[in-house]
Amino acid sequence: MNPIREGSLDEARQGIRRVVLRLFLCLLPLPVTVSAQTDRAIPYIPRDASVVLQHVPPATDPRVRAFDLLRADFDRHPRDSIKAVALAKAYVNYGRSTGDARFLGRAMAVIDPFMKQPAPPIPVLLMHATIQQSRHFFEASRQELAHILKLDPDSGQAWLTLATVAMVQGDVDLANKACVQLANNAGNFMGMVCSASLRSLTGHGKQAYVMLSMVEDPGPKAPPAIKAWIEGLMADIAVRLGEPAVAETHFKKALQETPDDNFLLADYGDFLLGQKRPQAVVDLIGNNTSSDTSFLRLVLAESMLGSPRAAADAEEMSQRFLAMDRRGSHVYRREQAGFVLQIGHEPQRALALATQNWTVQRAPKDVLVYLQAALAAHDPAAARPVLDFLARTHLDDVRIQPLVVQLNAATADVGTRATAPASESVR
Amino acid sequence: MRLPRSLAVVFALFLGVLPLSVLAHKESDAYLSLHSDSADHHRLNGQWDIALRDLDFAIGIDANHDGAITWGEVQARRAAIEQYALGRLTIKGDGLTCTMQPTGQKIDAHTDGAYDVIFFDAICDKNIPSKLTIVYNLMYDLDPYHRGIVTIHADGKVAGAVLGPEHPVATLDMRDPDRWGEFKSFLVDGIWHIWTGLDHILFLLSLLLPAVLIRRRNGPLQPGLRGTAALADGSGTLMALVPSGPRYRWEPVESFWPAFLEVIKIVSAFSLSHSITLSLAVLGIVHVPSRLVESGIALSVMVAAMNNVYPLVHKRLWLVAFSFGFIHGLGFASALSGLDLPAGAMAASLGGFSCGVEIGQEAIVLALLPLIFLARRTVFYQRTVLRWGSLLIVFVAGGWFVQRAFNVLIPGFSKLLPS
Repeated sequence: MNPIREGSLDEARQGIRRVVLRLFLCLLPLPVTVSAQTDRAIPYIPRDASVVLQHVPPATDPRVRAFDLLRADFDRHPRDSIKAVALAKAYVNYGRSTGDARFLGRAMAVIDPFMKQPAPPIPVLLMHATIQQSRHFFEASRQELAHILKLDPDSGQAWLTLATVAMVQGDVDLANKACVQLANNAGNFMGMVCSASLRSLTGHGKQAYVMLSMVEDPGPKAPPAIKAWIEGLMADIAVRLGEPAVAETHFKKALQETPDDNFLLADYGDFLLGQKRPQAVVDLIGNNTSSDTSFLRLVLAESMLGSPRAAADAEEMSQRFLAMDRRGSHVYRREQAGFVLQIGHEPQRALALATQNWTVQRAPKDVLVYLQAALAAHDPAAARPVLDFLARTHLDDVRIQPLVVQLNAATADVGTRATAPASESVR
Repeated sequence: MRLPRSLAVVFALFLGVLPLSVLAHKESDAYLSLHSDSADHHRLNGQWDIALRDLDFAIGIDANHDGAITWGEVQARRAAIEQYALGRLTIKGDGLTCTMQPTGQKIDAHTDGAYDVIFFDAICDKNIPSKLTIVYNLMYDLDPYHRGIVTIHADGKVAGAVLGPEHPVATLDMRDPDRWGEFKSFLVDGIWHIWTGLDHILFLLSLLLPAVLIRRRNGPLQPGLRGTAALADGSGTLMALVPSGPRYRWEPVESFWPAFLEVIKIVSAFSLSHSITLSLAVLGIVHVPSRLVESGIALSVMVAAMNNVYPLVHKRLWLVAFSFGFIHGLGFASALSGLDLPAGAMAASLGGFSCGVEIGQEAIVLALLPLIFLARRTVFYQRTVLRWGSLLIVFVAGGWFVQRAFNVLIPGFSKLLPS
């Protein structure tokens, strides 16, 4: 019942100290907002018993029926790791398609007892690493995958996840190795998608686009999620190549396959915002405001439109970020940096968030927000790690290139200005 | 490009690790806030917001499984929700577990959906907590990423912690130790312990009743009084014990102050001895089984009352009080059992309780003494109150004794037992 073990009391104490300290540091700059948060939501008694308060997955949803069957199966065989992993996988997939992060935790709870074994089965380890990756704990996921691949060097699934993680982290060499191994172990199709994704991030966007167009139609047997995935990748590449019309076509095809996919909605929303088409974002998101990522795009669009709802929705969005801060969750630092920059007009804070985000993930969108924040904060020196990264990986993106030019100009400018007063200031 | 036939297998394999996803919502949170009650320092007013989605997953709220949780469905599950949640939360004040009492249910809208709001009181009746320990186990087996965001508001100060399955425990300073407050609070406890402890009251009463009378040896010159006493004895149950008629008679004391002094002596002696054993027992130096203590107390009441009917000791009643005080002190200690406080708090609590017991018994004495002093000359007092009253006390205490010593239940007596 009590999860504290006697032996780890000191550990627990230290942990508490850490948590309290972290919370203290967290609360330090936000005393006003904290009290605002606690006062904001006022408990109420609903009008009558028939008021609907919350939607949950209904029993008619085939995925829920699948959970129930898998759960019942697992409950009958609580020591069977295969059944546990099957249930966990159903939760993860549901969580990913709906964007409901709670399902990741539920999946983790299912495999948790097996993780405590001295040598957990490989499928369990793999599920653990996958969940870590989904929660943006990339470094932990990467280490676990390295461990799994030592135990089972032929695990295509582990190589694919590792490639994904390496690409997010901007580790080109590791990603390349993983893609090659993936091709060896899981066939050309996966190997090609993997390599194309990687090459699109290393200055070979056109080649990557051609490679993906070869597998764009994987046949009628392929699940919609696979098709949507490839269309989404092609759309992203087209955006980076500066081909908005092509990108638009691919986004629409992807949305036909998986209309409610949370990732796709956010990605397409970003594209539309970049194209200065805020009304299209409002139409796209519609009433789907319960998703934080969709809502953020809506808020950005409303601000661009000068909509009367912009201020209230922006406040709501900052409350959502605050709620994540309070629990110590930093999954959305990139999004938060963009929000703080474009809505809050706080370039210093945006730069701080982008810098923290950079330690975790280095995808093109992370580069973009970092450079925007550095420019807005008039701090070109802060962009140095990102500019070095771009020089190293040759990432090519029409949205990023002008920022690099501006930053280089600003650096040169600061350099020439700095020579004169430097002798005075250094004392 | 030609694709292999086994592609479907490959697709199925990789579905679980498809592209990077973005999460639409934050993970599971609950918000627990505790406010110190300005009127009652033993009480914390709690509010716990738990997501309906989490409760539905944990214990099922959507009764008709239509995917829409209504207020009616939430209300119907109120007891189950409270039992589930409050059973997974422990609040301790300075190490002592506080009792949880649900007080209401509402709904709250948070950024990621509707939350059930459990209002509850945490009652830390043993002390006034200065350090609050929270052991948080909600969802620990269902979602390792669940976090309980705890805020404590005490006397204008705010403290907080984020708890979850990996870090379930936090200890937060609530307020500076309030020794005077603890002393006062235990003072009140002590007073009520005496006033509601019928066995202690009856013991005192038994010693008090004869204090306004003087017992004199019966001489041959007073036949009238002797006859009265003989009648009384003859009708008593103790007739067999009295070999040859009453040899003693009661005479009222002349003035108030000697009687008062006598009573003070008795009460002080009783206080002194029971304070000693109370302290020893609470500090854990002495441990006497509760059955022995409780039946000893019953026996002491019997003996003290019997002494009024069939006197053995009269001159040094304070000695009786003193010696039986030891066992009563052990009885008082049971009210403070489990009190494991830091030294300072312990001194304040124990001292307060002892003083409270003292004040409680003094109050009884001061209220009663003038009354019995005025009534001391009446036959009603000497015969009915002293004799029959004492016999009634012997009867009641005898019942307690049997019940406590032999562990048998006598119907009706339980109602008279002090809790």
